[in-house]
Amino acid sequence: MHLRKQKRTGVILSFLFFPLFLSLLNAQTFEKIKEKVKEHTLNNGMKFIVLERNEAPVVSFHIYADVGSAQESYGITGISHILEHMAFKGTKTVGTKDFEAESKVLDKLDKVYDQLSLEKKAVHPDSQKISTLQNEFQELKKEAREFIKVGEYWDMYDEQGGSGLNAYTSTDATQYIVSLPSNRLEFWMAMESDRFMNPLFREFFEERDVIMEERRLGVETQPTGKLFEDFFSVAFKSHPYHHEVVGHMSDLKQITRNDVKKYFKKYYSPSNLTVAIVGDVKAEEVFRLADLYFARIPSGPKPEPLRTEEPEQWGERHVTVEAQAQPLIIVGYHRPGINSSDDIAFDAMANIFGQGRSSRLFSVLVKEKKIAVYSGSFNGWPGTKYPNLFAVYCYPAKDHSSDECLKVIDNEISKLINESITEEELSKYKHQTKKWMYDGMKENSRMAASLTFNDVVRGDWRLTFDIIKAVDAITIEDVKAVARKYLVNKNRTIGEIIPEGKGGAL
Amino acid sequence: MKLLKLINANLILLCILISSILSFAQKSPKEKLVYPQLHKIEMPKIENVTLKNGMRLFLIEDHQYPTVDLRAMIGAGSIYETNDKIGLASITGTVLRTGGTENIPGDKMDKLLEGLGADIETYGETNATYAYVSLLKEDIDKGISIFSDLLMHPALPEDKIALAKIEQKTWISRRNDNIWSITDREFRNLIYGKDHAFSRYAEYSTINSITRDDIVAFYKKYYHPNNTILAAWGDFDVKELKKKLEDAFSAWPEEKIDFPAKPQVNYQHKYTVNFIQKNDVNQSHIQLGHIGGKLDDPDYPALLIMNQILSFDRMFKVLRTKEGLTYAPWGYFGADYDHLGIFNCGTQTKSSSTVYAVELLLKEVKRITEEEVTDEELAKAKDSYMNSFVFNFDSKGKIVERLMNYAYFNYPLDFIEKTRNGVEKVTKADILLAAKKHLQPDKMQILVVGNKNDFDKPLSSLGQVNEIDIAIPTENMPEAKKQQ
Repeated sequence: MHLRKQKRTGVILSFLFFPLFLSLLNAQTFEKIKEKVKEHTLNNGMKFIVLERNEAPVVSFHIYADVGSAQESYGITGISHILEHMAFKGTKTVGTKDFEAESKVLDKLDKVYDQLSLEKKAVHPDSQKISTLQNEFQELKKEAREFIKVGEYWDMYDEQGGSGLNAYTSTDATQYIVSLPSNRLEFWMAMESDRFMNPLFREFFEERDVIMEERRLGVETQPTGKLFEDFFSVAFKSHPYHHEVVGHMSDLKQITRNDVKKYFKKYYSPSNLTVAIVGDVKAEEVFRLADLYFARIPSGPKPEPLRTEEPEQWGERHVTVEAQAQPLIIVGYHRPGINSSDDIAFDAMANIFGQGRSSRLFSVLVKEKKIAVYSGSFNGWPGTKYPNLFAVYCYPAKDHSSDECLKVIDNEISKLINESITEEELSKYKHQTKKWMYDGMKENSRMAASLTFNDVVRGDWRLTFDIIKAVDAITIEDVKAVARKYLVNKNRTIGEIIPEGKGGAL
Repeated sequence: MKLLKLINANLILLCILISSILSFAQKSPKEKLVYPQLHKIEMPKIENVTLKNGMRLFLIEDHQYPTVDLRAMIGAGSIYETNDKIGLASITGTVLRTGGTENIPGDKMDKLLEGLGADIETYGETNATYAYVSLLKEDIDKGISIFSDLLMHPALPEDKIALAKIEQKTWISRRNDNIWSITDREFRNLIYGKDHAFSRYAEYSTINSITRDDIVAFYKKYYHPNNTILAAWGDFDVKELKKKLEDAFSAWPEEKIDFPAKPQVNYQHKYTVNFIQKNDVNQSHIQLGHIGGKLDDPDYPALLIMNQILSFDRMFKVLRTKEGLTYAPWGYFGADYDHLGIFNCGTQTKSSSTVYAVELLLKEVKRITEEEVTDEELAKAKDSYMNSFVFNFDSKGKIVERLMNYAYFNYPLDFIEKTRNGVEKVTKADILLAAKKHLQPDKMQILVVGNKNDFDKPLSSLGQVNEIDIAIPTENMPEAKKQQ
């Protein structure tokens, strides 16, 4: 079988270079994988997607919760990410010495915390009362610690040989991942069904502190972190892409355990969870166990879709951050969400404009004019599900300024609008996309991520493979139309890091 | 609506019923599960050959996707640079690719490769220069032809050298932009010493002093087939690929290389407290440690398990989970192939808990040298290593790249299995013994980068503070002045 296929392919290729045949060949590879994917939706609405492959006795799991910072409102910014952290704190059985007693202390702790918060916000705070409550709070916190088996959830995965146990929160989603030796399938079922059925959000206040450190680490002590946070807040005035995933410091300091419980109830019903499992497992066995373990989670209503939309922009916006750092410029243009018919044209445009050594930005700014050391463009900033940004960025070379670079970028943008891209560029985009699709499918974990993403955000996991058809169909005119429509100054925000003391007078 | 709701309710009830019928089979995560036998790890067939000109090959077939990856390791690392030309290996590695060849200039090569959806990249690092190729299998001939041409006949043109220098100088000007990179860089400096091959970094003056002649000489001295190992994996026939590589590189003659002595590490253990002031941050970055070890040290398996316990069971649980002091604490005994690595631990924490965090880290290092780890910790760490061992074999690329490294540093090709056998035998006593031998908690070098105005305690409570100046020497400052 194998040999025959090899030979045939060899013959075809030695004859021709026609891209059409190349596409066919690619399409075949994708079709073959697609055929092996199986899906099953439980009675409670939770969906499982399985791809069996046996390269090694390992399996990757990906749980995609359709909730991210875009679901947050004022007062609870950062709560999706807090919940993600809390999901590692164990359950009624994992991470505790005595669940019943522990729950009671935790409830008391919450009450004291609420009283403390109220008193602190009173018009005339009573310092005596605050101090008493604070002591009580610390005592209860200590008492609660007595019941905890520290880090047991992590330890249990570790012992089983878990690899890459982690979770990510973005504007659009919260994703829980792990890989295991493939005979541990049932262990995963037991752990994860318990995790989403019986969570106990213990060590809440300690973890909130950890997350504040994470905010300092990623946003407050990083010049680019500061810039991005301010950039989003300017580019999105209404849509919740406005705030950083990690949330505002004041919210992090005040979000309560009950807030998290409520949020969990609203967004973690089984119908809002999608799972992909890729590796050395049998689909029927996965579905049998999923019915056994996950179907017992009670179903709940699907959360209401997001209401707030970003209105049309009225004029070019600017944002600057002064920092002890060298200049950086980033320009973001509003674009529609990933399910827009313009999406692939944007993808092609980003590739041709700013991805790789032969892209336009790199060629002109770095190789030809030598005024930047790196420049590129990309889509999906900060998310993809809702209308987002097409972004262009540039690191000016030593002794060159962002202004200098922006002039060149603007000139290149006007070329995109007024002149057509070339056939050569378009063909490059199509070839690179195919190659990257293959690369993205090689690892079990990345494949699982792709299947859940396409199923939830694009509406069908088959698009993991079928998207190639849309890529193949894209034309020079499509790209030009998108450039014309969206790459206008009125539709953009410009953000810059300005070296401290230079106050924008560059 | 009502009817729908009713149906829904019935469905739910049915679900509950069904699940309660089957619930005898559900296990709580704490119950012992019986696992089916794990499928055997099927080791791929590895073609391991040395060509006539001394170039070594490791090839693995993998027909899952119609792609091919090649990766070459050339013994031309920055360890062979002199102190007045720091950046030479890196610039050579960059210009090798950006300059293209006599036949295909770099910019044309960019278009050609990207037009195929292919990548060829080269870069110089401390130990070696790396080159990789990644392409669709139908382009393999073109790819090999360009790749071999690059390694054998690079153009190394002046204009791309100038560009690489601009790039290098720009990154020098940006090297203090980020607190992470400051901490990493300066901590390496503390351990290996300034100007040492394992810690030094380029300055404007060293970049300016590099000429095309230097680059050509560096290339001519080190870029030879007998100093190159190549690994390939993907959709090819091993015999065919071997033949193709043999043909492509047949005109590359073997050459005797007169290697300079490898840099020696002469470490003197000492306790020091070092500080870099940054007034634009509200969080300190902390690293502390001393010299580490080598991979072929018989204690390595014990140190590996010690790492797991020190880092995850202890530092993570104490500093992060219990104290909420930090997002990412770690402790790691670093071991390298051919030289002593670095033992370090570190974290980031808000300015007002800086000294406290240092004290907690020191305490954990001390503790692991004073008392045995618990049975539970040992069992867990070993289980974790053993059960996740299979992930060392879950991709052909991983397997073949590992072999390439072993071959390059003259390690036995089954080093990973040897390590596993060692880990299996590790005892609590072994760990304590190894910790006592390799860790010196009283002679740690401490580095804190942060804003001292907001610290919980003055850093001097830890000892006499040595303040490090990280100002970047300006481009035209004479060398003598910079030293002061």
